[in-house]
Amino acid sequence: MNIVVLVKSAVNEAELRADPAGHPVLNGAAMKMSNFDMNGVEEAVRQKEKNGGTVIVMTLGGAEAKKAIREAMAMGGTRAVHIVAEPSDAPDSLGTAYLLAKAIKRIGEVDLVVCSEGASDTYQGQVGAMVAEFLDMPFLAYARKVETVEGKVRCEQGAEKGVRVLEAKLPAVVSVVSEANVPRYPTLLQVMVAGRKAIEDLPLSSLKGADYPETGMEVLDVTLQSANRKKVLFEGSPEEAASKLVEALKQEGVL
Amino acid sequence: MTASVLSYSENADLAGEVSAAVAEVAKQLGTDVLALELDEISAGLRSSGRVVLVKGDRELEAEADSAAAAIAQVAKAKGFRAILVGETRFGTVVAAKVAARLKVGSLGMGKNLRVEGERLVLERDAYGGKFVARVAVKMPCVAMVQAGAYTAIDGAPGPQETMKVTAGAQKVALVDTRLSQRGATDIKSARIVVSAGRGFAKKEDLALAQDLATALGAALGCSRPLSSDLGWMGEEAHIGLTGAYVHPQLYLAVGISGQLQHVAGIKDSKVIVVINKDGQAPIFQVADYGIVGDLYDVVPALTKILKQS
Repeated sequence: MNIVVLVKSAVNEAELRADPAGHPVLNGAAMKMSNFDMNGVEEAVRQKEKNGGTVIVMTLGGAEAKKAIREAMAMGGTRAVHIVAEPSDAPDSLGTAYLLAKAIKRIGEVDLVVCSEGASDTYQGQVGAMVAEFLDMPFLAYARKVETVEGKVRCEQGAEKGVRVLEAKLPAVVSVVSEANVPRYPTLLQVMVAGRKAIEDLPLSSLKGADYPETGMEVLDVTLQSANRKKVLFEGSPEEAASKLVEALKQEGVL
Repeated sequence: MTASVLSYSENADLAGEVSAAVAEVAKQLGTDVLALELDEISAGLRSSGRVVLVKGDRELEAEADSAAAAIAQVAKAKGFRAILVGETRFGTVVAAKVAARLKVGSLGMGKNLRVEGERLVLERDAYGGKFVARVAVKMPCVAMVQAGAYTAIDGAPGPQETMKVTAGAQKVALVDTRLSQRGATDIKSARIVVSAGRGFAKKEDLALAQDLATALGAALGCSRPLSSDLGWMGEEAHIGLTGAYVHPQLYLAVGISGQLQHVAGIKDSKVIVVINKDGQAPIFQVADYGIVGDLYDVVPALTKILKQS
């Protein structure tokens, strides 16, 4: 079974600082594989372990994305494809999906494409569905359980009002949620071995055809979320504190 | 009259909010609204615009593929400046597929939608909700309306027409549906939400949170570890970046430390109350009112007072 897992290199948002004007300090910010993608890689590796085959780790990004690829490879990837973007390239969701789909087609026979529900930095949750559209493959979204049997994939989809069980023929694209699995921590040896594996570089420009969708997407500015909260603490015994809280909430008119 | 602004949500609870967003965008564009209803008129996109009842050769809302096929066909036939979709998991997939089929840009999870010249501009969370990004895309486009970003409007439905579409090839089969006892719409539309976190030592202790919720007439939600790692509550109860965005009048975070991803989902609450024994927990940074104390002491005391009053 040939499995492609899509990963994104993202800023480690927990460590991301703001400058005095409230803009994120992206220059030199720590990068890593987007958190949610760990569930995607884990699922891809588990499917490989069950069915045999290969896990091809694929990403789109600048030179800094190599770190995310290494992290995914250490978890059990067999091959790595890096769509190398130049700083002037800024594909949006649709452009990214177009480029990933082109690269997946170049690989040839692919049975399953796995991604996560969204990226930790932008969390738009669009690329997986769009890749499926470009590849004309079925898309099974928000899977909390994935099973592949005899040329089919069956998923339990976490939906707003419960669980939906979906089934489709392979090849298919599946996006997984964090309920799907618990990502493994690679051993030091696996990290070292992954560091020596070859990464196939694919220049972004080599994938761009005349049909590349230009949507005019532009990030105008990014600023710190404002959190103007009162931050009033109530002290005393649990009863005293609780009673002061109830009074305050009555004053607010929310009780 | 220029091309319309289209609106769609499969979730009746969100329809009023999407109607508010679409009315605002249409007003700025000086155009009209086309509210799309698939299969049948549900609780409805209560916009004052025209309603298009879209009928397919099979149930359109059974899966995202057929819903997207239907919306794309209507959009092509009628012309459009923007298609606004209510933000749910189903809506997210539908929006992405519609954008891919129409080859237009797509913006997710937006609020404060505005028209600036030929572009639609909206605000959305970035970097785990720590930052907010203003993003622009060329129209025509697709954009998602974040739950809670608009106050629902409830106008009389406008004139109605019916349009027939083809659902297209069925690539994904729905084998089974297992509805949970309580849908996420409970926490998304609740006026008061009590939310439980890792501070609870075992599943049985959630009864304390449930008692408090009952005393308040509140819905009960949780942070991600409780629904994901521990499985103590259903996935639909999960509040945060990858779960539900809530916007109640009153939000009580009990035993929740306040990871970025959780805070992202609660920041539109009017009043936030925090009960946590760790005074250094990051959740206190977004609290209006806080009690630093053991939830096992504070919650029963609070419940008792509320029951008395």
